[in-house]
Amino acid sequence: MPIPLLGLLLVMPALVIVLLLFIVPLVSSITGAFSVDGRFGFANFQKAFELYSSDIVFTIVIVSLSALLIALLSIAIGGYLTLGSNPRAVAILRWLYRWPLFVPFIVVGQILRTFLAKNGLMNSMLMQLGILTPMQTTSFLDWRGIVIAFVWKQTPFVTLLLAGAMASLDRSMIESARNLGASRLRILIEIILPQVLPTLLVGLILSFVTMMSVLSVPLMINAQSPTMLTASMAFRINAYGDYGVANALGVISLLTTSLVAWVYLRQTMREHR
Amino acid sequence: MKTVAYSILLLGLTTSPLMAEELTVMTAGDQNMVDYINDYLGPLFEKENPGVKVRAVGTGPGDAGSQKILERFDAQAGANVATWDTDVAVVHEKFVGPMVEKHYLEKYRDKIESGKLVTRENAKMALGTNVDGYVMPMFNSQTALAYNPALVPTPPKSYDELVAWAKQNPKQFGYNGIKGGASGVSFVMGWIYAFAGDGDKLQNGPFDAAEAEKWGPAFAKLKDFTTNATLTPGNAGTLDLLSRGEIAIGPVWVDMFYSWKATGKLPPDMKLVLPSPGMPGQPMHYTIPEKAAHKELAEKFVNLATSPEVQAKGIVERFNWYPGIDAQHVQAKLDKATWDKLFTDIGPADLAKNGKAFPIAPYNKAILEAYERQVGN
Repeated sequence: MPIPLLGLLLVMPALVIVLLLFIVPLVSSITGAFSVDGRFGFANFQKAFELYSSDIVFTIVIVSLSALLIALLSIAIGGYLTLGSNPRAVAILRWLYRWPLFVPFIVVGQILRTFLAKNGLMNSMLMQLGILTPMQTTSFLDWRGIVIAFVWKQTPFVTLLLAGAMASLDRSMIESARNLGASRLRILIEIILPQVLPTLLVGLILSFVTMMSVLSVPLMINAQSPTMLTASMAFRINAYGDYGVANALGVISLLTTSLVAWVYLRQTMREHR
Repeated sequence: MKTVAYSILLLGLTTSPLMAEELTVMTAGDQNMVDYINDYLGPLFEKENPGVKVRAVGTGPGDAGSQKILERFDAQAGANVATWDTDVAVVHEKFVGPMVEKHYLEKYRDKIESGKLVTRENAKMALGTNVDGYVMPMFNSQTALAYNPALVPTPPKSYDELVAWAKQNPKQFGYNGIKGGASGVSFVMGWIYAFAGDGDKLQNGPFDAAEAEKWGPAFAKLKDFTTNATLTPGNAGTLDLLSRGEIAIGPVWVDMFYSWKATGKLPPDMKLVLPSPGMPGQPMHYTIPEKAAHKELAEKFVNLATSPEVQAKGIVERFNWYPGIDAQHVQAKLDKATWDKLFTDIGPADLAKNGKAFPIAPYNKAILEAYERQVGN
């Protein structure tokens, strides 16, 4: 058998699986979004915007806000891991920060549901400490709960990438800046951050896409209106059996993630040039 | 595209091994439905029919679970499979209509003994579709308002009173909207019955798209009401918040309420009230696919499941559901205390008067969508 044919034969199983289990469903869900009673049309999108425009905005705002907070926190943690002067504190932080990585989203939702409730653990602790009175407590089980869940879960992931990139930087530049009297904050912002920016961006983009696709957290914490697109899609299918509008919402979410993925691709292309 | 999808699904379905006498029971609903079959009904049936194994498959809570069963049937019908992989399917009321209309189901009620013990209207009509003979109700469930008597000494007896009460007690009423489970959906349906007129027409049809125009003011009122309410995460979420004293009153499923109370997840002094003009409830139905592999065994299984003994011990005593077959047959099998527990807060007369059905399927969809349009977005 000629070599090229043999090679093709060898990749066939993998190719068929990708085709059947990924490409076909994806294409069928995209074409499904444009199919109205078997014909091409935009009615599904029209309905999606009529009913869920606030959910679309809500989703993008929540995910972007979470990404921003994740960025700030991971820079802070990564920066301390690289520049911290107390070796014991650094060791403890290094050991501690990865924990949320190993907790599934649904468990995060469940934990926070009891933690953030009006009479939940967080408020009871604040009341015990005398910081709040029972009348001042409020429930965080709304958009804030979702943001807290996302940030708590995704910060370690971005930090993991970022701290790795920071650790592999050439120390001599940091040392010389320190010798010249630069503060640690200044070193972090002016010397380290510009060099690890591509890594940070990649981590944030991957987090963005992950957060866009989480169903369990909005369902557990806030399945009201407005809510995340994933919850609306699930509702569309479960309550109405309406795959058309659900697919349209899927395409909208896909376009949003494609936009950030495009940034990601452009970034990696530039790196490899 | 559809054929490709169906053949893939079929491949998955047919590669699972089939044993000779294995009765497959698919059930929608919460984990307690699967537990009911695995822990109680299955062993009972296996004892009476040696050599038979009952396999329960849970497809998930709420309408989503029933939707999955319907799609499974769609796939097998679309692929022209000779015998289907399901012998008995337990589904929500909303889904038996489409199943009967698509000719998926076996008309078996006259063939089994317990068939004549059911006379209630909702065993004949399911949200506007005639399903007479195709279904046996497993149980009837009802929604009502659960309240904390310490915070609400005189509970609102009607939707009107509830609105007035909620105005004076902002954020003390909680419900889960319509995306987080059916107790919130039920509250919204009751709201439309109360404030948009023709409840009879909504429950019995015929469907008239123009009816939707009458709902505008009621939804405007609901939007206003909702800004003053607490939105809870799910059916369990409402009970959660109630047990922690974060809300004082909210719509719940009666059986869940009693189960939570029985297991101590809800304080024992919580009470129920069914406000006028009423809130909906629904049965779950046993169905047998026309092409089930073990049809006779399936009939025997449903016959056992709807016998007065099982309805008494399993449905009423263990799970606090209202019986599926007519109550008088079940009552005779239970002592008075157990029976009365079902009717502690909501008496049989209230239940008969204010226990409504959900609107027929097209109205059901129209109301949910109108809610999304006018209250949600």
